[in-house]
Amino acid sequence: MESEGLFLLPFLALTLWRFVFTGMEWGWPVGGIDALRPRQNDLLWQRLPVDRSGLAVVADQRAQNYLRRIVALTGATHKGNCWFLDVDKTQFCVRSGHVTRLRDVTDPRRACEETCFYPAYKDMPKAEQIATALLQLKNNPALFDRWAVERSLAFKADGQVFTRTQ
Amino acid sequence: MTARILTFSSHGDTTLFEYDPATADMDEVNRMIAEYEAKTGAQPFDMATGDRISKVTKEQHEVLMVHPIAGG
Repeated sequence: MESEGLFLLPFLALTLWRFVFTGMEWGWPVGGIDALRPRQNDLLWQRLPVDRSGLAVVADQRAQNYLRRIVALTGATHKGNCWFLDVDKTQFCVRSGHVTRLRDVTDPRRACEETCFYPAYKDMPKAEQIATALLQLKNNPALFDRWAVERSLAFKADGQVFTRTQ
Repeated sequence: MTARILTFSSHGDTTLFEYDPATADMDEVNRMIAEYEAKTGAQPFDMATGDRISKVTKEQHEVLMVHPIAGG
């Protein structure tokens, strides 16, 4: 019986040695070049905005902050991809490049109308485009009709036509 | 305290100019705003209230020049 135990001892020692050293290999905290190489699965590394698409990401984050402020100022609410804005009995749904007018929120037979809108700077961050439309509609809801009907013209916030020659 | 006039552009928010409302000549500030409006069609909004303003006063510390929108 004792001789059988002695026979198994080297086998057990070898198994223990492999287990311990294999574990150490995964557990060592520093390791030359690997330690210096950026790790693509590192969450912190992925979250650095300048590492991915540079300043555009920073501009987008700032634009989102402005949109949040303007949503609060205008009393708009955000649901899905739509920002709902109430002006008197009219409700607007502002999305990227589109506005839908729900003529009377208290009337179940209300008519829906939709139009596109384009800001002066076409490359403006989407959040700022939406913020611009929210501010303008809150102050002057009649702008919707002008955007819908006089499609080739640009309108200032007060409803006046803007031409480059001004 | 510094006040600033900003706008939204292709590069996101952009400060057009800053001034100290305590010492600034507000007529000069409004003249610069009028020039910018004439050139771009942008009109001033008070970022504290969200209201369009016809004239900037010393009480406004952040004014957003909102550019025209075209329909389509």
